[in-house]
Amino acid sequence: MNYLQHRISSGIICAVAIWVCWISFTQKPAEAFLFPRIIAVFFLLLALWTFAKAMLGRSKVGNGLSMAAAKNLAPGVAITGIYIFWAAKTLGFYTASIFAFFILLSLYDPSPNTEFRIWMKRGLITAAFIAIMYALFAVVLKVYTPRGMFI
Amino acid sequence: MEFIYYFGEVFTPISMLLLIGGTIGGLILGATPGLSPTMAVALLIPFTFQLTPVHGLILLGAAYTSTVAGGAVSAILLKIPGAPANIATTLDGHAMALKGEGAKALQLSFISSLFGGIFGVLLLIFLTPVLAEWALAFGPPHLFWLAILGVTVIGSLESNSVVKGLLSGCIGMWLATIGFDDMLGVKRFVFHSSLGGGVNIIPALIGLFAIPQVITMFAKGRFDQDTSRIEVKKHPVGAAFKEVFKRKRALGIGTIIGSIIGLIPGVGGQIAGLVAYDQAKKFSPEKAKFGTGHSEGVIAAEAANNAMVGPSLVPLLTLSIPGSPTAAVLLGGLLIHGIFPGVDLFQNYPEVVWPFINSMLIGQVLMCIFGIYIASFAARVAQVPKSVMAATVLGLALFGSYAVQQSMGDVYVMAVLGGMMYFLERFGFSAAPLVLGLILGPIAESNFVQGSMIANAQDGPMIYFFSGTLNIALIAVVVLSVGYSAWSEITSRKVV
Amino acid sequence: MKKLFTALAVSLAGFTGTATIAGSYPDRPVMMMVSYGAGGATDFQARIVTMTAGNDDALGMPIAIINKPGAGGRVGWNWFATEADKDGYTLAAYNIPHFIAQSIKGGVDFSTDSFEPIANWGADPAVFIVGKDSAFNSMADVVAFAKENPGKLTFSGAGLFVGHHIAALQIEKAAGVKMAYIPTKGGGSAAMKSVIAGDVLGGVNNLSDAYRAAQAGSIKILGVADLERNVFLPDVPTMMEQGLDVDNASVNFRGVMVPKGTPQNIIDKLAIIMPEMFKHKKVAGKMKQGGSPMYIMTRDEVIAMWAARQATLEELLKGL
Repeated sequence: MNYLQHRISSGIICAVAIWVCWISFTQKPAEAFLFPRIIAVFFLLLALWTFAKAMLGRSKVGNGLSMAAAKNLAPGVAITGIYIFWAAKTLGFYTASIFAFFILLSLYDPSPNTEFRIWMKRGLITAAFIAIMYALFAVVLKVYTPRGMFI
Repeated sequence: MEFIYYFGEVFTPISMLLLIGGTIGGLILGATPGLSPTMAVALLIPFTFQLTPVHGLILLGAAYTSTVAGGAVSAILLKIPGAPANIATTLDGHAMALKGEGAKALQLSFISSLFGGIFGVLLLIFLTPVLAEWALAFGPPHLFWLAILGVTVIGSLESNSVVKGLLSGCIGMWLATIGFDDMLGVKRFVFHSSLGGGVNIIPALIGLFAIPQVITMFAKGRFDQDTSRIEVKKHPVGAAFKEVFKRKRALGIGTIIGSIIGLIPGVGGQIAGLVAYDQAKKFSPEKAKFGTGHSEGVIAAEAANNAMVGPSLVPLLTLSIPGSPTAAVLLGGLLIHGIFPGVDLFQNYPEVVWPFINSMLIGQVLMCIFGIYIASFAARVAQVPKSVMAATVLGLALFGSYAVQQSMGDVYVMAVLGGMMYFLERFGFSAAPLVLGLILGPIAESNFVQGSMIANAQDGPMIYFFSGTLNIALIAVVVLSVGYSAWSEITSRKVV
Repeated sequence: MKKLFTALAVSLAGFTGTATIAGSYPDRPVMMMVSYGAGGATDFQARIVTMTAGNDDALGMPIAIINKPGAGGRVGWNWFATEADKDGYTLAAYNIPHFIAQSIKGGVDFSTDSFEPIANWGADPAVFIVGKDSAFNSMADVVAFAKENPGKLTFSGAGLFVGHHIAALQIEKAAGVKMAYIPTKGGGSAAMKSVIAGDVLGGVNNLSDAYRAAQAGSIKILGVADLERNVFLPDVPTMMEQGLDVDNASVNFRGVMVPKGTPQNIIDKLAIIMPEMFKHKKVAGKMKQGGSPMYIMTRDEVIAMWAARQATLEELLKGL
């Protein structure tokens, strides 16, 4: 049980709850914020309760995030962030997906990186994935995705 | 018994081809994380332009029933519900998959879907006029209480910490208020232009369930120490049928609750599975087993969300009032083919309506057969390497959340919510109550505001919200539900 | 000759600095945003009028409908004004007076200056409806009840500052009474449900939806808020005939628009093709079947209509 992490996380939630309360009770027109006010009050009370319990060291569920897990997920999350918030729109959905898929596959595939065969396999899986996505979204469902610089 | 006469129309080669195609396509679309039944049906409508009304509707009906059932596949194998209707299925279904019972869970879910679905369509065939009256009885105050009843379900979804469950629910309800207020058109909490359209349920669902799964796979690292592959046990279909019929209580509760909730316009099938799950748990002598991979959890949830399909068409077909988002899309499909729902629909267009309803009946059977066939591939899904799975789910999340409304804003909301949910899960919060809050918040709010406006013009809110048989009955159920949760909380000395 | 024309168009496009060439436009499917939910009147009509877009004499490419419902249309139009691509591949359906009234009321990022109209396809007047068992049989009954019970006559509509609300305001003003307008979430069909179910005493709704509901026998239509009786409802008198000074300010005009900044040559091309496309006999047949009155207007006519509505609505909403 990682108490420091519990304190920080519940503290953040509390801060959000206070902010939601502040907005709900100060914004106009009041009628439009009637329901948000009701929710905000419950939100704040529950957040304070959780925070108090975390400070007293009595949080009983949730194991927090271990250092090893954080190190493992960092590159994946970084690639995901670039993929979704930048590459998808700028490069086009399909181009961005080719890069993101291939990089993620290579990052998290336990097979050795030294063999050419492995790289071929990763390339083929990526091609298969993109082909299926294109067939499903562009051909069958006719969804036009952002093309960006490429497609 | 007029409908039997129209079965001939369903068994023509073209109809059967569309029915089988629609069912298989629907199962695959439903099973794809990120594609909801509403979207599948909406995207199919242009296809029906080329078909006759009967054939078009057969295709839409088949797709509707099978996407709802198909959503259980990803819910069970990946813990990513295909639609809001399948959220309850993740709770026990995924736990079963982790125990190596993925194939069994899928069989149970398709068999209970078949049972619930047939029951629902039979209600549609025989009781439509009665049920239509019933559906109309639910006005703003009743829908408000129904939403509150939905909130009380949170207590039983979250088995570890009720406070954190309720807090998750509050966060969900708050997220639902972001964007333009629906009644007054005022912007609320829009601190980034992506939020102008609010938090849409499907992108949010994809983010809250799929992204944490992806990050969890990342967190295990390249050289996963925990390589003990889940051993997928084979499960005979016959045993699955026996199991479903042994769990009569869960099956019955799921079917009945699904039918009732499906009927009520405005609440839709989104919460049928969750409410049925909650009730099945409360009535079960084996409460403690729920959430750990208990077959009753899967049976109740899946029976409910297919039972809701038939009744949800009652207000649509008789009054032109769609009871769920998917039914609204179906209404569009009907209107385009020149079929105008109304009380005399069955007299005016018997040659179209009956084959449509009959095809849903046959569609349920086909759905079950193909579904059980798909279940035999469950083992293969479990063997897909983690790296491939993570990248695939991520790609589907991007395309799926974009496709709903062709909006990048939805994609950003999906990703931000997903990232946030991963960290919240580390600290004991869970996605199911949060999504429940997201669904119920707007229902509670709009009916509360609308009800108050009507009440102020009449006898005042106290009388409007607290009198009448239906109000009192609903309030009684709410009180019982809260009381029961609190009581079992105290007696079992769970963590509060 | 055609080649020459294309070459000319290309050089012209290069000259003016626009990258899109009207000659080859559209070379992929076009999207049209509807700011109301699937199955609603606007969505349904939008799907019908665009169903022939793929024909060679029309655009030659299909038009896909995307729904962005919420807050009486504000969500969709806000998105359209601020985020939609200005490349001619993103169209939207407009509803007049809705978006003009909302922009006058404020709190949104769009106004008539944000959009370029292309063509109008339909005009759907607002009608006053009551449940099939209601004691009201004419607008006079409604007004008499409202006079005796000020603020107690509840009636539903699809939201605030949409056509239904404008009609509601005009009726109240003309009759000199105070009634309780109840905006519903979920558009016209939710407002219709509340009338059929008896949650409210009456309602304002679209003529096309009301026509179908009346055919089905679940409601009665008491009056049409337009200058003349409608061909679909020859027996229902207008508000004016019943002594209420309500004009056609609330008539729901539906048509197609693009965001401001779309290349002029594409606007011109669409403005020529669209009205012809709406005239297709398959479209007209389906619209008639659905009880949806058609009213085709060209781009110039729509520009004039928008300006006229802007002035009328500013006047009407001044006191609020």
